[in-house]
Amino acid sequence: MKAIHLAFVFLLAIAGITVFVLISEPPTGATGVAHDTIAGMKLGGDGAARLATIGRTPFYFQLGVIGFAATLLYMGVAERRRDGALRVAILTMTAVALFIWYMLYSGYEDYLATGETDVVFGFPVPTNWMFWGIWGSFAIFDLFYVVAFRRYFLPKEDEAEFAALVAELKADEGQH
Amino acid sequence: MEEYRQAIILTCVGLYMVMCIWVGLWAMRRTKSAGDFFVAGRGLGPIVVSLAVFSSTLSGFGFVGGPGLVYATGLSSIWMAVCSALGYATGFYLISKRIRMVAEVRDTMSLPDVVFARYGSNAARLLTAGTILLGVLGYLATQILAMALVLQSILSATEALADISLIACVVVSSAVLIFYCVTGGILASVYTDLVQGIVMIVSGALVVVTAASVFDGGFSEVSAILLQRDGEDIMPFGTLGTMASLSWFFLFGLGLAGQPHVATKMMMNRKLSDNRIIMPVAVLGYVVAAMLWISVGVVMRALVLGDVAMPLGAPDEAAPAFLTTYAHPLLAGIVFAGLFAAIMSTADGFLNIGAAAIIHDIPKAIRGRSLDNELFWARTATIGLSVLSAGFALYSFYGSNALVAILGAFGWGTFAAALVPVVVIGLNWKQASARAAIVAIIASLTINLGVQLFGVSIPYAISPGFLAMLTSLILFIGVSLLEKTKPLPKDIDRIMDL
Repeated sequence: MKAIHLAFVFLLAIAGITVFVLISEPPTGATGVAHDTIAGMKLGGDGAARLATIGRTPFYFQLGVIGFAATLLYMGVAERRRDGALRVAILTMTAVALFIWYMLYSGYEDYLATGETDVVFGFPVPTNWMFWGIWGSFAIFDLFYVVAFRRYFLPKEDEAEFAALVAELKADEGQH
Repeated sequence: MEEYRQAIILTCVGLYMVMCIWVGLWAMRRTKSAGDFFVAGRGLGPIVVSLAVFSSTLSGFGFVGGPGLVYATGLSSIWMAVCSALGYATGFYLISKRIRMVAEVRDTMSLPDVVFARYGSNAARLLTAGTILLGVLGYLATQILAMALVLQSILSATEALADISLIACVVVSSAVLIFYCVTGGILASVYTDLVQGIVMIVSGALVVVTAASVFDGGFSEVSAILLQRDGEDIMPFGTLGTMASLSWFFLFGLGLAGQPHVATKMMMNRKLSDNRIIMPVAVLGYVVAAMLWISVGVVMRALVLGDVAMPLGAPDEAAPAFLTTYAHPLLAGIVFAGLFAAIMSTADGFLNIGAAAIIHDIPKAIRGRSLDNELFWARTATIGLSVLSAGFALYSFYGSNALVAILGAFGWGTFAAALVPVVVIGLNWKQASARAAIVAIIASLTINLGVQLFGVSIPYAISPGFLAMLTSLILFIGVSLLEKTKPLPKDIDRIMDL
């Protein structure tokens, strides 16, 4: 299966989940309730009740988004440079992103079930997974870009090939 | 020092504006052609480009609207910020190299030029330019309005200018913006972006420290108050809930690479290998500056919900109210300058790509060549676009007309939905076709405009931009898969192998 086909499958899965959400009857206060006295401010209310009709759908939605994003990033490496090591690296980084998403969502579900959460580094644990985990899970891809730049993103041979192409085009222009 | 607060703030903002004018004059001497005006002759160093890329991404929305959104709805909107690492990864993995290569071999000056080079279709070029112009008009009008409102809030706090009108503030702030954009083009824009980026990073870092010290217990006390009064607001999905937050993550994370004012800057670096430096600097710059968004928003919400401070008149007052009450006067001065920096750094990018659409892309798509004496017309178009947008902003404000708000809201989602498939996927997949590009752009515009014009309310507050982008991506890939692969021009084909 080519990367573009995999990306397309992920998109169709995301679309299917989205359609399911759109046709589900939203519970009252699904997007928060206006504060009684403070203008412009919303409260979240009962978080568990807000998910009553769609259940764990948001969890699966984000699995599709992470899968799509990773496939797209894989497509960013020129086809002839895609080797086994690259696939292992992308799969590992994707696994980290999925693990973080699982920790975030399961932590949030625990909070919805018990109403309790620990506060670490100034914020609730699931919120820390969001701040640092979600950002960090793709910062790893950024780091990979820097570290593997000359191997996958701009090898010296490609740079030389591009310089040759520019020179060729300039020579053609000169002839005309 | 407290009694000099207003004077300090005015001095900081005044110095910042003088700096913008000086950069405009400096850049004017180096702007000799339309290529210099629109893409700085592709000769910029990595630090300049990285700060220009990040400061263009984080507009006035991040510094003014962001804290306001957190104040109003808790952490829902933070998904627009935590996706930045994905956004930059998408931009640098998928387009930074190829867009720069295409720019060099085809001497392109704008994103529609790149679209034409890739697809060989004037219809795709025209639609791309039209999308950019539509988005720019709305975005620019809202940026000018935001700039004028911030200036009015600063000046009206002084005795001498207590009654200053919004029109006067629009004129003053637009005049500075127009001056440096017209004289120095993109060169002035990116060098002011450099300073603006530094001011935004310093502001973000200092404001976090200040915000952490508002309550004796720091952010732990903020969280404790919010958990007690609501709870959902300080949890990962905020008060708007899971689907709203995740749809923003998709739209902003995967949509960053489709923002023309960001993508265009990826054509300007001197060397392809500079991307290795540009990306991490942009990522780190953004994350530090975005801390202002989170910290000010949660602290103001805790102050009001905890009955420590009076409720705000409107959520967008969160950042100005925080700075006025809790920040050291010098910090307030720097951050107010940072507010202008955030707004102007985005607005100047829009002016540049909007002017390019008017004098370069649309004429090229219609009659096969751009206007004669492009540099003169570029400057004229920049003035015209600014005046039109400023008028548009004032008309909207005084006439209570919703058109600017519609176009403003339309901005990011429009660019992302229309341009991500065409540019991000199109530059990495040879089978992508011109017909698919046209279908994707038209579908995305129809959905985005339709939802805004008819006021369609989407369940679970799912972002309309997300729906448009998902649809356009599926159509783009689907239509391309149904068509036979057409051969690409040799130069583009070879670039896509690299």
